[in-house]
Amino acid sequence: MIKYIIRRSIQAIPVLFGITIVVYGILLAAPGGPTAKFNQNPRITQQMKEDFKRAWGLDQPVPVQYCRWMGFCSKEVDDKLLGVLPAPAAFIGPKGMPNFLPTGLSGASNGVLHGDFGFSIATGELVNTAITRAALPTLILASIALFVWLFVAILMGVYAAIHRYSLFDQAATIFAYVGYAMPTFWLGIMLIFLFSGPGLNLLPAGGMTETRVSPPFGSDDYWVYFGTHTLAAILDVGRHLILPVVTLVVVNIAGDSRFVRASMLEALGQDYVRTAKAKGLPGRSVTFKHALRNAMLPVVTNIGLEIPFLFTGAIVTETIFSWPGIGRLTIVAINSFDYPVLMGVLLISSMLVVFANLLADVAYAVVDPRITF
Amino acid sequence: MSDTETTQAAIDAERIRRAEEAGEDYEIGLVSLSQWQLAWRKFRGHRLALIGLAMIGALVLIAVVGPIFLPYDFATIPIPDKIVYQGRPPSLDHLFGETGGLQRDVLRLVVNGARTSLFIGFSSMFIGVIIGTIVGAVAGYVGGFLDNVLMRIVDVMLSLPLLFVILVASRFFGNGSVLLIVIIFGLFGWMGVSRLVRSQFLSIRESEFVEAARAVGVRDRRIIFRHILPNAISPIVVVASLIVAGNIIGEAFVSFLGFGVNPTTPTWGNILSNALTFIPLGNWWWPMFPGVAIIVTVLAVNFIGDGLRDALDPRSRA
Repeated sequence: MIKYIIRRSIQAIPVLFGITIVVYGILLAAPGGPTAKFNQNPRITQQMKEDFKRAWGLDQPVPVQYCRWMGFCSKEVDDKLLGVLPAPAAFIGPKGMPNFLPTGLSGASNGVLHGDFGFSIATGELVNTAITRAALPTLILASIALFVWLFVAILMGVYAAIHRYSLFDQAATIFAYVGYAMPTFWLGIMLIFLFSGPGLNLLPAGGMTETRVSPPFGSDDYWVYFGTHTLAAILDVGRHLILPVVTLVVVNIAGDSRFVRASMLEALGQDYVRTAKAKGLPGRSVTFKHALRNAMLPVVTNIGLEIPFLFTGAIVTETIFSWPGIGRLTIVAINSFDYPVLMGVLLISSMLVVFANLLADVAYAVVDPRITF
Repeated sequence: MSDTETTQAAIDAERIRRAEEAGEDYEIGLVSLSQWQLAWRKFRGHRLALIGLAMIGALVLIAVVGPIFLPYDFATIPIPDKIVYQGRPPSLDHLFGETGGLQRDVLRLVVNGARTSLFIGFSSMFIGVIIGTIVGAVAGYVGGFLDNVLMRIVDVMLSLPLLFVILVASRFFGNGSVLLIVIIFGLFGWMGVSRLVRSQFLSIRESEFVEAARAVGVRDRRIIFRHILPNAISPIVVVASLIVAGNIIGEAFVSFLGFGVNPTTPTWGNILSNALTFIPLGNWWWPMFPGVAIIVTVLAVNFIGDGLRDALDPRSRA
């Protein structure tokens, strides 16, 4: 088991490495680059653009930039091999050890390998700070949505499987088809029209807190306010959560409830379920103890694979409901050509996918004793 | 079994009965059906798939013919008789209502959007399927080191949050043209197909008829395209239908965020995008109809996909 985990982790390394190259490549190939935003500004001279590039290290050849961003190369050494490649001396950190080793050993702290994603070009703050700040709202939204959606999907799927071809089952089938075909953002817009339009002004159309009452979420003032008005603050966020959560849940349970239903139907048809029934066990016990637990096996894997997409999938929901999370951060970064932030977000979400794949495989082995490695 | 077949069977039975009564000799001919005839017979029995096919047919007709009757170009767009900033709800003149701001006829927008959205959905699917098939065929047929490299590339691409990447690519490379969006979606939509084709090739490559072809000296290219690919095509068709649905939603999403097609060329996504700014005015008819158009299209495509799976997947063939 542990051997398997280690082997899978080692296999993930080249994939992660490839991801950094692809992410870097896409952003590098983009025309204009980070100085494109100055093109419309007549006050900015060519000289200022050059200075900007030098200050951000963008005047360096691409392999050197990549090497520094990854943390293989030290930022201090400017020597180059053949004019484009980083010189061997650049790979040595301040303490004389290879630069990519942990800070304690090499003395270096730059680059992704040391957990440093650099500075945001647009705002100048650390990418780590920006992502951490945006992660909390996304985490709140995603975890609550995940909880509700799993609960409803499992309930719906199991009920539909037990009462197969009933009216409920058929309604759930139609709902699944339509929900599957429905774009998230459209549902979001329609919900806003319904619940926060002029007709029925029940729920807030966007944001995370009531701006007239509470300071912006995540600011220092907010935590002071949270300390004094805890209940009001929680209720406020809760009110703002309803529409985005409903949007995420409706779109996602469509597929999942079908999945649970199929898995449950398969479990109900197994011999051990018939045996349990033949033994005279009460129906409820058979359904929930014997069938459901086995039906959950593939569901667990499926959930593991879906979790990273909760984060990226929230991008639309966050945009519509102006939720101050990772999705919004990304959209703002795309609009302002903020490369370091984009690379950070892309890399972290790809790592989540790789990690979730690994986790799903391991979880499957843990819940299903028949699987050995 | 359909009506024509039952009547044919009845006629045959009648002929045999007469021949027996007359004491004559008779022959029984077995009509053998090709793979596609069998698939079509199965597909025909799938009611939802037929409905989906009819729906897509109607939509394609609307997309091709509609803009001729309801053109969206600035010279001919009728000027509204009365200026209402928030737009007007559906009426007999404007069946789907009018948008806010410029007061465009929503029906006109949706009909013209159908052309772009369907074009993007189908053509980007073709690009993706062609790339995926080539990559998968090469990886599966050649195997070894090349296979390893190609599949690691697929792993990397599948680990990327594709929607993010597509957004970034459309923003940085796109200039609002339809063609670029098609290419971007095509370039990021081939990985699933390539895995599928590879697995098909791996199993078919070992079959006797391929070995026989190789033994008589058929060249690799001919083996790939004439001997293996036709046998691998059915799962590709099923996946292709799902890609169309995904790309239509994906395009709407990218355009909705403002990184897709220019608003001068209506797509279902950018109609919705413009509607978002008018939410406080409560004109629900504006986002409603393009959204319903997307749902209907994707539903139809998914129905067809289900039908195709039942018809083409040999494991589900009764």
